[in-house]
Amino acid sequence: MPDDNGHQGDRPNKGFVRRFLDLPADSVPKTVFVAVTLCLVASMVVSATAVSLRPIQDVNKLRDKQINILQVAGVYTPGENIPEAFNAFEPHVLDLATGEFTTEFDPATFDDLAAADDPELSRALTDDPAGIGRQSNFRTIYLLRKEDKSIDKIILPVHGYGLWSTLYGFVALEANGNDIFGLQFYQHAETPGLGAEVDNPRWKALWSGKKLTDDNGDLLITVAKTAPPAGKEYHVDALAGATLTSVGVDNLVRFWMGESGYGPFLANVKAGAI
Amino acid sequence: MGLRNFFDRIEPYFVKGGKYEKLFPVYEMVESFIYTPKTVTTAAPHARSYVDMKRIMTYVVIATIPCILIGLYNVGFQVNSAIATYGASGWRAWIIEALGIGFNPANPFANFMHGLLYFLPIYITTLVVGGIWEVLFATVRGHEVNEGFLVTSMLFALILPPSAPLWQVALGISFGVVIGKEVFGGTGKNFLNPALTGRAFLYFAYPAQMSGDTIWTPVDGFSGATALSVGSSDGYLQLAAHGMTWFDSFIGIIQGSIGETSTLACMIGLAFLLITKIANWHLVVGCLGGMIAFSTLLNLIGSDTNPMFAMPWYWHLVVGGYAFGLVFMVTEPVSASHTNLGRYIYGALIGFMVVMIRVINPAFPEGMMLAILFGNVFAPLIDYFVVQANIKRRAKRNA
Amino acid sequence: MAQTKRSMLIDPLVDNNPITLQVLGICSALAVTSSLQVALVMSIAVTLVTGFSSMFISMLRNHIPGAIRIIVQMVIIASLVIVVDQVLKAYAYEISKTLSVFVGLIITNCIVMGRAEAFAMKNPPVASFIDGVGNGLGYGLILMLVGFIRELFGAGSLFGITVLPTVNNDGWYVPNGMLLLPPSAFFIIGLLIWAFRTWKPEQVEEREYKIQVVDAH
Repeated sequence: MPDDNGHQGDRPNKGFVRRFLDLPADSVPKTVFVAVTLCLVASMVVSATAVSLRPIQDVNKLRDKQINILQVAGVYTPGENIPEAFNAFEPHVLDLATGEFTTEFDPATFDDLAAADDPELSRALTDDPAGIGRQSNFRTIYLLRKEDKSIDKIILPVHGYGLWSTLYGFVALEANGNDIFGLQFYQHAETPGLGAEVDNPRWKALWSGKKLTDDNGDLLITVAKTAPPAGKEYHVDALAGATLTSVGVDNLVRFWMGESGYGPFLANVKAGAI
Repeated sequence: MGLRNFFDRIEPYFVKGGKYEKLFPVYEMVESFIYTPKTVTTAAPHARSYVDMKRIMTYVVIATIPCILIGLYNVGFQVNSAIATYGASGWRAWIIEALGIGFNPANPFANFMHGLLYFLPIYITTLVVGGIWEVLFATVRGHEVNEGFLVTSMLFALILPPSAPLWQVALGISFGVVIGKEVFGGTGKNFLNPALTGRAFLYFAYPAQMSGDTIWTPVDGFSGATALSVGSSDGYLQLAAHGMTWFDSFIGIIQGSIGETSTLACMIGLAFLLITKIANWHLVVGCLGGMIAFSTLLNLIGSDTNPMFAMPWYWHLVVGGYAFGLVFMVTEPVSASHTNLGRYIYGALIGFMVVMIRVINPAFPEGMMLAILFGNVFAPLIDYFVVQANIKRRAKRNA
Repeated sequence: MAQTKRSMLIDPLVDNNPITLQVLGICSALAVTSSLQVALVMSIAVTLVTGFSSMFISMLRNHIPGAIRIIVQMVIIASLVIVVDQVLKAYAYEISKTLSVFVGLIITNCIVMGRAEAFAMKNPPVASFIDGVGNGLGYGLILMLVGFIRELFGAGSLFGITVLPTVNNDGWYVPNGMLLLPPSAFFIIGLLIWAFRTWKPEQVEEREYKIQVVDAH
């Protein structure tokens, strides 16, 4: 390494690198040399960090998603071993159109969001209240079973556009496929204090016990400022001061629980086919 | 002239070198409020005739009187109508009962008194808190307390919802006076309208108390949407179904901020300001033109999903704060453009922006406040280009 | 060296603060100050990046060709920022989620480039490192002050711990929503600059113009 003055006296047999370092900084060969060397060194440092930390980062991402699934199902206790707790959940890849599970993909590796960009596995939406553009034909859902192997909770991933960002989250349903247990978003960029109140535990608690459809199967659940005529069990209070985020949540829940979303699957659940 | 003598006698205490020289602004404020000031202005707004700054400001306050009267009546009417269903509570109801006035919405006097009980606490808070800031800055900076504050405080109180909590009123006027005016050097040097700055602060800081359906008529359990909110969710054709005809909206018997519901009252105020030549008609023409042109354009374009596209200009005129903003804010001389061509452009920009925000931006149902602040920010730039263009034209002619 | 190492570290805190005096790095100060925790992590990240980038640039300063010096500086800064970002994603995932793109945007933070160009290109590595750390801390100090005000009055908490119980959680405090929006940081930084210049009048710049007052009497 050169010292602070940048050169270290003349030695008779200077090496290749040394000769370059002694060139005036503004000469063309030196400029090229510095540029190339720096790029090489920098790219090596950056890729070495990225590659060596990638496994830890992937685990973090997975862990984050698992925690959210645990939380929305109401079985999360801080400090527990997350992968172990998550073993209770049974992932399935669901064919949205038929509402049945498919074995075409491995649920452990199937990436819903990547599939939404794959023209083979997704479709462009013409009627798109949730503002998501393309929808994957398949989604990974999770079943939580009781000790007697009957279904306890059904965890369905949902996403849609709010005011500033796409909100990604999960809806947890009771075994009957109609009663909501909880709703939780794990990623969004809504206004802190207003739209970001979707994360407020008090607001999330409002969802518990609400119903998606009435006895005729009409989808009635809504997020609104005032209760609709259908009644309180289908209504969640909109967030104060966050009209558009509330409208976004309303749209995305209604979209995903409707015919183009999990409608067929939920019909199967109600018919006892799952 | 005992009072004049009194002022003359105590004046030496307050002028430079006197015992209370720090308090000169307070003395000056009281003295010039009662007598014509002895000095002339050095910075805008310039008085170019016998009309001095104090008279301008006094005339503007006079021009708001129709708005205040109809506003008070409307607040009381809305509250009394709601009370018929939801019942009365709170100290105001207690006073009304103690005075034996009653809650009959058909009785104009009862409405007026009930409205007054909502307006007065807000207005007094505004005056006291804003006044403290004015005097504080005047004392430290050594400039004079300006009558402009009387206008600012009146306008600020009139554009608040009647249910505004008083501590928020105090915060809002503090922000408006300090950030909107004093940090730039006081009246004449502010480029934003202080009343609107304070209102915008409250709007963004406390949206739950400044927007929504429950704040316009402060009766527990009552919910009433403003015309703009109905217009953006259901379309203006549905307004009649919500009990709001165009004529109601024009007279001002609808949900809204205290003083800005009545277009009729604003028009009376405008006529007064135009006749006395306080308001500049170029600004008014520009703002009307921009609004009419752009809303008509949007009517022609149309939209299947956004019902606001269809709202015609004569509805835009009577809903929300458009009329009030046009009369009392757009025409405010300090923050508007100062050249005549610039005034047309400035007005048209605001007219365009208000329709733009109301119709196309889904986050804000009302756009007048933001449109005017936006215009304020551009006013100096507009003037600059107008002046430069003029210089170029003259240079060419004389070349 | 006219400046001692101590003054290099202390000066940028108040007397030559990068935000309040030099008015640099404002954009990120708006974006990451809505909560103290995020502001703290951002301050640490910026301090590390300014310190080390200044040091590396100073080491290479006699070999950096004038024609491509900005790009060379950028490459060094950008590499460091990516490393910091990756480390955060690996070891502080929750915080990296809230910081999101803003860690990456340290690259464009004028303070880092400013110190590289103004100081590190002319001074030895150790001094440059201290100067970089000092400026990072000066930036961090303002970030923490702004974050303190914004989180306390905007959300009623400090470091996520409730101080003023808010109405949404059955408390009495009505949080000021504007403080959670980025523009509020403009006002707070402006008021801080006002306070600093009242405290230290020598920081006030000379006026570029003078309004002429014509005496009409």
